[in-house]
Amino acid sequence: MSDTTDPGVGTQAFPSTPKVPSAPSKPIKVPRRSGGGNWLFRLAAAWLIFIISVTILFAIFGDALPLLSDPTLKDASAIKQGPSWEHPFGTATFGQDVLSRVVEGGKISLFVATVVTAIGIFVGGAMGLLAGYYRGWVDTVVRLLVNTTLSIPALLLVIFIVAVRSQSLANVIFAVTLLAIPALARIVRASTLQVADREYVKAAEVLGAKRSSILIREVLPNVMPTLISFAFLTTGIILVAESTLSFLGLSVEAPTITWGSIISEGRISFAETPHMVFLPALVLFLTVLSLNFVGDQLLKRYDIKEAAIG
Amino acid sequence: MVLALILIAFAILAIWVVRVAGWRFALQRLGGSSLIIVLVTFATTWLLRQVPGDPCLTALGTGANQEAVDLCRLERGLDKNVFAQYWSWARDVLSGDLGFAFYKNRETLSNVLQARGPRSFWLFVYGQTIALLISVPLGIWSAYQANRVPRKIPVWLLPIFLVATLALAITGGWTLSAIIVLAVLVPLAIFYGLRGGPAGDALVNTSAFALLSIPVFVIGETFRYIFAIERDWYDLIGYRSWGDGVGAHLSSVWLPALVLGLSVTPVYLRLLRSDMIQNLQQDFVAVAKAKGMSNRHILFRHVLRPSTLTLLTVAGLNIAQIINGAIVVEFIYDYDGMGSYLIAAVARREFFPIQTLVALVAALFVFANTLIDVVYTTVDPRVSAGDDK
Repeated sequence: MSDTTDPGVGTQAFPSTPKVPSAPSKPIKVPRRSGGGNWLFRLAAAWLIFIISVTILFAIFGDALPLLSDPTLKDASAIKQGPSWEHPFGTATFGQDVLSRVVEGGKISLFVATVVTAIGIFVGGAMGLLAGYYRGWVDTVVRLLVNTTLSIPALLLVIFIVAVRSQSLANVIFAVTLLAIPALARIVRASTLQVADREYVKAAEVLGAKRSSILIREVLPNVMPTLISFAFLTTGIILVAESTLSFLGLSVEAPTITWGSIISEGRISFAETPHMVFLPALVLFLTVLSLNFVGDQLLKRYDIKEAAIG
Repeated sequence: MVLALILIAFAILAIWVVRVAGWRFALQRLGGSSLIIVLVTFATTWLLRQVPGDPCLTALGTGANQEAVDLCRLERGLDKNVFAQYWSWARDVLSGDLGFAFYKNRETLSNVLQARGPRSFWLFVYGQTIALLISVPLGIWSAYQANRVPRKIPVWLLPIFLVATLALAITGGWTLSAIIVLAVLVPLAIFYGLRGGPAGDALVNTSAFALLSIPVFVIGETFRYIFAIERDWYDLIGYRSWGDGVGAHLSSVWLPALVLGLSVTPVYLRLLRSDMIQNLQQDFVAVAKAKGMSNRHILFRHVLRPSTLTLLTVAGLNIAQIINGAIVVEFIYDYDGMGSYLIAAVARREFFPIQTLVALVAALFVFANTLIDVVYTTVDPRVSAGDDK
């Protein structure tokens, strides 16, 4: 491809422009590998990662903070108040502190999202790897299962399962997992197909390595970047799905608080309690935004094309 | 009536598929699709039978005596096993009986579809149209700007601007500050955006990225508050058909459709943009440029055309996502479409309508994706429909 070895006469349709011997000018800038962009981009990245850390830390250690009170404590003297110093997120229908409720709800919402993604990675990832590497009847079965599940609108499927079984935490997790597994399985399968075509996999096969050990030692590590990037994106999607369910009143039942249920409570008397809709929604938005951002950056970093997978 | 239309549509599709792609492909697709639809409906049937409670109990109430319940179950064959029930349901549907609800004087699903179907259909069509109208031009523009020579934006203005805004907000109130922020930001954004370059691209892409992270119900609630509660721009009185006049019809669906459209816009926009950026780096673009073709011609004829394929695929797969959105949007706006019917039907354990609806949705999905596979061959002559990837 270099111009020095190729005379460029007759062999190329378009002779390349002759290289002008340039004077020693500025040294070539090698772009940094740690994320690109200008300082504004890095600031945004740091900010988003800060947000998600704060959200997670609050969900885990929130109880110990002095600012928070009992999320179920009713206070008749402070009903439906807007944000103030005492109640940064305002108060709810019966005077409960909304910030405490958001922290309490975050525990459930984040727990569901994490558990579902973990199960999705293990089960969906295993399905995708086996289908993509062994092909044959395993592939047929997995593809059929995935296509079947994906041809029902996800929300319909989840509403259906939650309504059919009871609205317990386990059932919500089960229903949302059914949504995560096929999506991840499809992505991992597509990625495995690409990896299985590479030379090093062929080389290992020629050398006579066992197929199972090739799968684990050659294919899996190279599918990992895709899996991890999509794990972040999936966590965001699951978070939204769970909130949508509880917004529709179909997630974990009443005494348990989730982000979606705070929003759906606030929407009933919207004119008085817009803070109950917008502030939890803002927290949800920022968390999902951060997760999407991290996933997106990982995809870019490992040069995975979303369009190629699917 | 509905079923007849669906059958006619399927027949036309089948003839076309056979003409374009040949018998082998058509039979393969038919087999695959039927298998998926059968699996989906059987899974639905099986899951519904796992419920504590059935439509007979719901319809007759908790105080009903056992004999009446048993009689009702016998009448609808609910006492048989799952396979027999599935078989009888499938036979009914194939012969045109879509099943009826036990509730509300046994209203049949055909009636429900006739009354509510158009509402959801138009919501879907307008939503999809709005999404494409926003995302296609913006996506093309954004991709075109991405690799142009950058223009410097005075970033140091940003902190000054933020401090000024905050000071203004504290002294003059939020409304005033918001107005002034918009008055400064919007012209600035247009100025730098229209000058183009990566800044314009970044603006579009970042907005799409942010929009992607907002759940549908948050957009829906916000817009409902802004346009329907605070102002009278949208009446929450429900759907009006074309028969009531075009104006009445459009004014009764614009807000839900806009919300639905906005919720899928970023998906299309980001995909089209990244795909077009990749295509713009291909050799044929350089050749076209070297031949002296205009940028517009290259962009629309050489780059947009292959990118349309990706957009089509995603538009097909997105049907499921739009239906998700439609369920939520119908809930928020008290819009009596199929989505709200479905939620109510699940709550009342109406076995038969749910089974049929799920089957219809799955059929629609499979139908649309087959259609897209065939459209591929028309848009891109390099692909032939029989090919496996």
